[in-house]
Amino acid sequence: MSYLVKLQHFEGPLDLLLHLISKAKVQIEDISITEITNQYLDTLTMMEQFDIEVASEFLVMAATLLHIKSCILVPKAKQEFEGDQEDTDPRQELITRLLEYKKFKETGNKLKDREAYFSRSYYKLPEEIISMDKKEIIPTDLDIASLQEAFLNLLNADRNKNRKKIQLVHEIKRDPVTVNEKVNQLKEYFLIHSQTTFFQMFNKNYDRDDIIVTFLALLELLIDNFLDVYQNHPFGDIVIKRRA
Amino acid sequence: MDEREMMGVIESILFVSGDPVNVKDIAQVLELDVRIVRKLMNKMCDCFNFERRGLQIVAVNDTYQLATRPEHGEYVEKYIGRERVQSLSQASLETLAVIAYKQPVTKAEIEEIRGVKCDYVINTLVNRGFIHEVARMDTPGRPILYGTTDHFLRSFGLASLKELPPLKSE
Repeated sequence: MSYLVKLQHFEGPLDLLLHLISKAKVQIEDISITEITNQYLDTLTMMEQFDIEVASEFLVMAATLLHIKSCILVPKAKQEFEGDQEDTDPRQELITRLLEYKKFKETGNKLKDREAYFSRSYYKLPEEIISMDKKEIIPTDLDIASLQEAFLNLLNADRNKNRKKIQLVHEIKRDPVTVNEKVNQLKEYFLIHSQTTFFQMFNKNYDRDDIIVTFLALLELLIDNFLDVYQNHPFGDIVIKRRA
Repeated sequence: MDEREMMGVIESILFVSGDPVNVKDIAQVLELDVRIVRKLMNKMCDCFNFERRGLQIVAVNDTYQLATRPEHGEYVEKYIGRERVQSLSQASLETLAVIAYKQPVTKAEIEEIRGVKCDYVINTLVNRGFIHEVARMDTPGRPILYGTTDHFLRSFGLASLKELPPLKSE
């Protein structure tokens, strides 16, 4: 059993820092980098413990904090020239960013109230005004019969479509003659005849299945070297000879 | 045509349009000077408010549009059976605030202030019509400069950007 702990959601590292600062009840300008860095890192560890993926931005901020901390700890090299002696606070950049971010965060909240109020105002769509400039095109060669025809065509098209849809169960029929049976038939045939052509082998009422089965049987017999087959020209009738 | 009649005509135009109507278009129809129309519109807005009518005239950037009053929203929503739309997220509000005060502004500048990636939020705001691309910055990569739309002003009850609340923290 695992426990689900709901942590406050932070918009980003700056948001988290502001939260920590307000919890510590200090002014942004007076933050102690050491303390804030520790708390910040603690929060990240906690987030990881609770299985929250820590976004890379949070890690960048952690590095920034550590960098500032190290700047404070390391004693400054003495400035050679007095003119260059700007005593910059390493925290300054971070403080500026935090102050800037805080302004927008708070203003965002102010905007939220405005939006909540003004979004309850409703507008209407423009009137649909049919333009009278363009004359409607009225075909002249129409009568009631063509309208009926058009309607029936539509109905039939629809019905055919529906019929196709209804046919969910399709029966697969067993082949009337199997290839093996056909092979035997052909062997018997060639006991009597020595030569024939492909289309001569069919009676008048043949269908596509017949042709396919016969053709496959023919191929079987070719493999067995029982027959010789040739065509006089492409797509012409196939001459079939029994091998001597 | 006296003033009352002009106001009547303008009200009809606003009704038929539904969308915001530019002051120039009204001036053209009435054959009046834009400045006079603007004055007339101010008077009309006041009139609608004074009489506490169900409709108000929303003025945004020199355009005018009829709308119901937000204070009647509760009843309108009850009638149409609409639930309150989800308000904007914290991330959206922050981003919108940055864009509103800093515009025209690039994504990189927004991210610098917020300290997080803003691609998704910016997309959402564009899709909801609050912000749009106003130009491209003349630097390598020609990044998009974002600004707020009139829809933003209308949704936040602002007549123009000048009416944005001052940017400061408490």
